[in-house]
Amino acid sequence: MAVQSWRDSLKSSKKTALIHDGKRKIHYLFADGKEMAEEYDLKTDELIARRWRHKSTLGAQGQWQVEVGEPLPTPVASFECDAIQENCSNPVFMRKDTKSSFQWRIRNLPYSKDVFSVCVEPSERCIIIKTSNKKYYKKFNIPDLDRSRLPFDCSALSFTHANNTLIVSYKKPEEILTLEQELLKVIKKVKDTAGPDGDCKTQ
Amino acid sequence: MATPKVPEVRDIMRIERIGAHSHIRGLGLDDALEPRQVSQGMVGQLASRRAAGVILEMIKDGHIAGRAVLIAGQPGTGKTAIAMGIAQSLGADTPFTALAGSEIFSLEMSKTEALSQAFRKAIGVRIKEETEIIEGEVVEIQIDRPATGTGAKVGKLTLKTTEMETIYDLGNKMIDSLSKEKVQAGDVITIDKATGKISKLGRSFTRARDYDAMGAQTQFVQCPEGELQKRKEVVHTVSLHEIDVINSRTQGFLALFSGDTGEIKSEVREQINAKVCEWREEGKAEIIPGVLFIDEVHMLDMECFSFLNRALESDLSPVLIMATNRGITRIRGTNYQSPHGIPIDLLDRLLIIATSPYTEKETRQILKIRCEEEDVELSEEAHTVLTRIGMETSLRYAIQLISTAGLVCRKRKGTEVQVEDIKRVYSLFLDEARSSQYMKEYQDSFLFNETQTATMDTS
Repeated sequence: MAVQSWRDSLKSSKKTALIHDGKRKIHYLFADGKEMAEEYDLKTDELIARRWRHKSTLGAQGQWQVEVGEPLPTPVASFECDAIQENCSNPVFMRKDTKSSFQWRIRNLPYSKDVFSVCVEPSERCIIIKTSNKKYYKKFNIPDLDRSRLPFDCSALSFTHANNTLIVSYKKPEEILTLEQELLKVIKKVKDTAGPDGDCKTQ
Repeated sequence: MATPKVPEVRDIMRIERIGAHSHIRGLGLDDALEPRQVSQGMVGQLASRRAAGVILEMIKDGHIAGRAVLIAGQPGTGKTAIAMGIAQSLGADTPFTALAGSEIFSLEMSKTEALSQAFRKAIGVRIKEETEIIEGEVVEIQIDRPATGTGAKVGKLTLKTTEMETIYDLGNKMIDSLSKEKVQAGDVITIDKATGKISKLGRSFTRARDYDAMGAQTQFVQCPEGELQKRKEVVHTVSLHEIDVINSRTQGFLALFSGDTGEIKSEVREQINAKVCEWREEGKAEIIPGVLFIDEVHMLDMECFSFLNRALESDLSPVLIMATNRGITRIRGTNYQSPHGIPIDLLDRLLIIATSPYTEKETRQILKIRCEEEDVELSEEAHTVLTRIGMETSLRYAIQLISTAGLVCRKRKGTEVQVEDIKRVYSLFLDEARSSQYMKEYQDSFLFNETQTATMDTS
């Protein structure tokens, strides 16, 4: 089963853990050279951030891509600002999961709720946010479901709008919930390896 | 304010400096590879241009690896010009790497490393890569210039698709390229996020009825759909050397910018070669063999020549073009004499193109082309005098006199260079022969005058 193959590649990946700032940080290195970094809250065990890094076709190290959590501050501001950048007044898209559902928050959307329509496109395996005033449009997939090759379910989707923020939630299917439980148990066992910068004390 | 700001173009038009070969635009051949007497900045040298044209066809075909060509001839007979002509006619997509023979001697890098880097710079790989692009119709473009005229400009660009709209902040470089491309409201553009390259796709259909003066070639396109930012596969050409640098672990990708690449391990190169061959077999990439041009090739020494012998045998090797102005001379690093200072075994692998001295008529033509290039008006008599100078001294000296005479003429507020101006600069600046003459007459009064009759030492 597809869930199984993702579970296996997670298990076989090389994991490094670190506790810092009240967060449990785990770095996964997969067999194909991809890297994943996750951060969990120490108290609630909630996922705070997940980032990916791939190698480009030519073999160059890519930038970290944020899947879950706050977008990274633009790395070298002076180098980037010569070109083009989104204005800060634009909507900001980010994913922030809860225990029971995937959740996306889009800030800076000062329109009323009836402007928005959110729907699932099962054939393209994505969720589409549309606005009737043609100001915002976003098509995004749920990488978790893609990795485990689980089907999309229209009824799992809901959205609300408050304080200029649109919140879209998608209830996690049973398979994902059990997978996450298992993973949490595994990563708690990963020895807190003291990093070279000495952030952690050796027991 | 509905009308878009008319972009000021003047401050970004780069004024190109005029180099020794900036008048060369190609080899000046017709479709049947017959050389025209005067074309694309080339004058005379018909046989060698024709020969270069044949080589050019071979390079364009791209099937033959590791051929080497030597352009040999007296100083100032257009050897570098022919190489430049080849480079110009190859176009931007075929790599052309030029270096002078003495460039490879450095303390930081061994000679063979420098040569292999040059070889790999001359091999291109066309490969598909995903990049992020922004594609949309321009709603508004707003550029604020500081009142003082200097300092950073600030700009905002609003783009839309049929579904959404986004405002972007513009950096200085982006403002420059937007005004260079003359982007205005209603244009549909794409911006490559990584490189910042802008391309105009056309004007939006919704603007078709606007009363506006537009050229016949204006294309109308639909406003793009969906999201503004898309991932798109683009094909681009990188050189093998660039891939080497990216993959050499020491510094990673940033080494490309720092310029200091150091030596690259041969294991890395072998890995890359295997990878590239794999890509080619899978149809992901295409290899474009380019041209490596080594000027003043007699400056290479014996070790370099034996390295060249071997490097030319690899099937990942570019077409090598070399130029020299030496006759029979010592091979650097040995005590043997050889034609052009190149060992016989390497010469045996070369196709040799010879250039011959220019005739008076050709010299006259070249001087005329240079005058146009340097924007100097020359009177008929001055032209004749200059041609005579060119024949009697050297073509290079005559070309140098053009710009200096132009300046003298401007100082006396004239518009056309007259014979007097030429006479003036001729008396001000010595040519090689007169300088030697002067030296001979006055050598006793110079410092360190215990002159041994100098034979040029190249080792």
